[in-house]
Amino acid sequence: MGEGHQPVAATSDYDRKYVTVSAFILIAIIAFSTYLHHWQPQILRVPNNRDVSSWVNPRFDQTCLYKSSSEADREKIRKEGVPGDSLGNLIFMDVFSILVALFCFLHARKKYGIWMAWSFFLGSFVFTGLQESMWILFGRFTGTSAAQGIGETAPGTYWFTKDGLWFFETPVMACLGWFFIAYGCVWMAGKVFPKRSLLVRAAVGGLLAMIVDLWADPISTAPELMTWVWATEDCVRIFGIPQSNFLGWFLLIFVFALIWEQLPRWDKTLGRSKATNRFFWVLLASDIAILLFQYPWCYALRGILIAAGVDQTLYIPAGW
Amino acid sequence: MFRKIWRNRIEFYPAIAIFIWYTVGVLLNSTVVKSRPGIGTLGWITLPTVAVFFVAVYKTYRGLPSEGGKS
Repeated sequence: MGEGHQPVAATSDYDRKYVTVSAFILIAIIAFSTYLHHWQPQILRVPNNRDVSSWVNPRFDQTCLYKSSSEADREKIRKEGVPGDSLGNLIFMDVFSILVALFCFLHARKKYGIWMAWSFFLGSFVFTGLQESMWILFGRFTGTSAAQGIGETAPGTYWFTKDGLWFFETPVMACLGWFFIAYGCVWMAGKVFPKRSLLVRAAVGGLLAMIVDLWADPISTAPELMTWVWATEDCVRIFGIPQSNFLGWFLLIFVFALIWEQLPRWDKTLGRSKATNRFFWVLLASDIAILLFQYPWCYALRGILIAAGVDQTLYIPAGW
Repeated sequence: MFRKIWRNRIEFYPAIAIFIWYTVGVLLNSTVVKSRPGIGTLGWITLPTVAVFFVAVYKTYRGLPSEGGKS
């Protein structure tokens, strides 16, 4: 998102068909996922918000939420379940996210044209939605995760507790959030470092988002909100959150920005249709690559800590 | 100044999105959390992003086309 970017010329027929067909598919997936999540929760084993004692992979006592809560908070959660999942709240979260995302989409459409703007929106939505859903469902159904604990084991990864609309097992609110956070942070990096290489701008964009997440995640996972719930198994917890989460934040925005910026070049060399195909195939491959990268990373980190004499989960800072 | 910003408001849309996310999604929510002492103080960790945000907004303003020869 360098300062020198010009809008990519529209090839109206293709662009119209691309946006219409992909929007239809996206809406169909969201409608089906939302139906499964709210009306057939047993199929994807959606954890019950009202009864935390029914949680498996992980159990309530195997979550970061449990570890960082007082006994009074735990009792309240057992009695009342996840707070703030009323219908009004769920609708508000979706409408709010759509409106905020709209700001970024309108800016992108004016700056880069509809093809680039829609590709950013759809690409980031699907890229992150698939990545999160793979993590969530993999943990839920297999009871395993890339994260490696020291001195404690907990099955599973994490999950989101509330939203109205869903994309597989990721809230639409989170997918839209990824879109406007990625777009906004890469926009900031492009404004402040316009002469720097794409690699630097993408890395700065990822770092800017990750820095805010260092504060946002401990807030969102606190007993008062419980927007998502983590299994405890990770050898390093930063402000009570597994380190793999922050690495994921950085990697997703960094990698996505790198791939999206290739679109104008692919458009010139391959043509619009093939460039679009390549964009989504590269995104899918990157999704799987990021997922697979976390395994050796977490394994190596655990090995280094054990070699350094660490014999239990490392809390940074202590007490969080 | 405000007319110039209003006429070019779309240039600030990404900044508005980030501002809303930060203030409503993070800052306001932090006031709800009572169970984690120090959660408000932890907000200082976001200072680099906040600083870059203001520089980006300033540079956006400076980059706007001038009105009637004034910038």
